[in-house]
Amino acid sequence: MKIAVCIKHAVDESELKMDPGGSPMITGAAGKMGTFDKNAVEEAVRLKSSGGGDVTIFTVGPADARKSMKEGLAMGGDRGVLVTADPVRIDSLSVAGLLAKAVQRDGSFDLIICSEGSSDVYTGQVPPMLAELLGFAYFGYAKKLEVSGSRIRVERSLEESVEVVEAPLPAVVSVVSEINEPRYPTLIQIMQAAKKPLEEVPPSALGVETAPKVVVRSMSGQGSNRKKVMLDGTPEEAAAKLVDALRAEGVIPR
Amino acid sequence: MTLTVWAYSESGQVASEVAAAAQSLAGTGKGDAVEVMVGAMSDAGPRLPNALVLRGMSASENTPESTAEAICRATSKGMPSVILVGSTRNGREVAARVAARLGTGCISDASKLTLEGESLIGERSAFAGKVTAKVVAPIPCVATVKVGTYPAAGKTTANSVSEMDVGGFSPKVKVLKTIRKDARSVNLNSAKIIVSAGRGVKKKEDLAIVESLAKSLGGAVGCSRPLSSDLGWLPEEHHIGLTGVTVKPELYLAVGISGQLQHIAGMKDSKVVAAINTDKDAPIFQAADYGIVGDLYQVIPAIEEIVRRRS
Ligand SMILES: Cc1cc2nc3c(=O)[nH]c(=O)nc-3n(C[C@H](O)[C@H](O)[C@H](O)COP(=O)(O)OP(=O)(O)OC[C@H]3O[C@@H](n4cnc5c(N)ncnc54)[C@H](O)[C@@H]3O)c2cc1C
Ligand SMILES: Nc1ncnc2c1ncn2[C@@H]1O[C@H](COP(=O)(O)O)[C@@H](O)[C@H]1O
Repeated sequence: MKIAVCIKHAVDESELKMDPGGSPMITGAAGKMGTFDKNAVEEAVRLKSSGGGDVTIFTVGPADARKSMKEGLAMGGDRGVLVTADPVRIDSLSVAGLLAKAVQRDGSFDLIICSEGSSDVYTGQVPPMLAELLGFAYFGYAKKLEVSGSRIRVERSLEESVEVVEAPLPAVVSVVSEINEPRYPTLIQIMQAAKKPLEEVPPSALGVETAPKVVVRSMSGQGSNRKKVMLDGTPEEAAAKLVDALRAEGVIPR
Repeated sequence: MTLTVWAYSESGQVASEVAAAAQSLAGTGKGDAVEVMVGAMSDAGPRLPNALVLRGMSASENTPESTAEAICRATSKGMPSVILVGSTRNGREVAARVAARLGTGCISDASKLTLEGESLIGERSAFAGKVTAKVVAPIPCVATVKVGTYPAAGKTTANSVSEMDVGGFSPKVKVLKTIRKDARSVNLNSAKIIVSAGRGVKKKEDLAIVESLAKSLGGAVGCSRPLSSDLGWLPEEHHIGLTGVTVKPELYLAVGISGQLQHIAGMKDSKVVAAINTDKDAPIFQAADYGIVGDLYQVIPAIEEIVRRRS
């Protein structure tokens, strides 16, 4: 089975600094593989080891994204394709468009695995857009997936239910974090990953011109101005102080 | 061109919120808000005076794939200015598919929507909630409305319902089975008090302590993502934050929740926040008005005892 995994080199929110005006300094911010994208890579590698095949990692990102891709290769990916465009400057539909072209250029994939949302912007749009552009079946929020022959069966985790759904391959899925526990690559795997093929493709080579429709106009940090009053004492004393404080605030009945 | 805003959600509660968002948007632009209902759903509405009921084979399937198909087909008879969809898990798929098909922009998880000239502006959380971004898309466009950010519109009597047959469609994805999650129907959107549990709760059975306190305060139970998603102890709609619902109760009491950015993003607009955590350095205390460094297994029963005694 030919499996593609789409991972994002996401802005590392814990490293993100604010400028004096309270806006985030996105340019030059440190990046990391999207948290849930690790679950996507893990699932692909598990499918490969149970059913055979190969795993290609696709990323639309800046040159720095090689770092995340290497991590994916160390986890068990076989090769990587980096489309060199900065997702900060384009929108979801442009990213999906680039991924669709890159996937098509690379041959006929049976399964494309994404995650439910990238850890920096979490729009959840890229995977269904990709499926739509490729004309593949789509399953969002997969907590379990099973491939048998040319069909795939997925358990989708929705707000109030779990839905068991099926479709013929090829398909795009987005996985949720509970689907698996991503592995930590060993040192040897990390060293081997450095030798795996990692190709860079400019958008122009895919014949795609990105003209984003959705643009970010402004960003501001979310400050917290809470009272931060700590209530001490034994559990009973602290509890009594809290109840008094909440009654004084008028948020619980007297 | 008159402004037309379509509102759609497959979930009744969320549909009411999306209707409210559409109404406020249409109101500012002096246009029409239209509730789009697909097939069997139409029995539940409408929440807006203008409704458009889509019927046909695709409409009756009610999967995101067929709903997106139905909505796209409906646009061929007149493109609305804005299509709003509730940002449930299925709703996000519907919106993204429609935007991809129509080649329009899609603003996701918007909390405040406004119009400016020929553009739609939405506010959304980014970078794990560290940042609020103002995002702009040219009209026509699609947007998903973050659950819990608009007050629900009530039911209304429709004065204009039009029906459209969108024709047949054979979806790729077949639904074999739907298993309902352990349903304890909650509406965190309207709860005045929320007691919210995190991984500090050691076992599923221990949730009873949290539930009992919530009950004696007349509140509802919420949770952090790991409890609903990774552990499956509570249904997904209890989970608060970036990937869950947004809440703004009078009182948000976080117990055994560390207070990661992604969680704070969903409760930061609460009137009063209190937190109980064994770790004095837990970030939740920076986002709380009142904090107790302590064991939830001791502090919660103590609070409940006082509340019961004094009432
Ligand atoms: C893209 C993305 C989106 C996410 N979206 C969300 C979201 O919407 N909502 C969300 O909640 N999370 C979300 N997360 C996960 C988030 O990053 C945290 O992992 C999660 O919120 C942690 O949950 P927690 O606080 O319950 O658990 P932990 O971080 O494990 O914290 C448990 C806390 O309990 C305390 N504790 C332990 N024992 C006791 C005791 N006996 N009494 C009192 N306190 C005790 C500990 O000191 C600790 O602070 C998201 C993550 C990503 C990557
Ligand atoms: N720039 C990108 N490169 C590769 N895959 C991406 C990119 N952006 C998003 N994805 C995929 O789409 C998923 C959802 O991302 P998003 O739509 O940004 O929330 C991610 O988890 C990835 O699997």
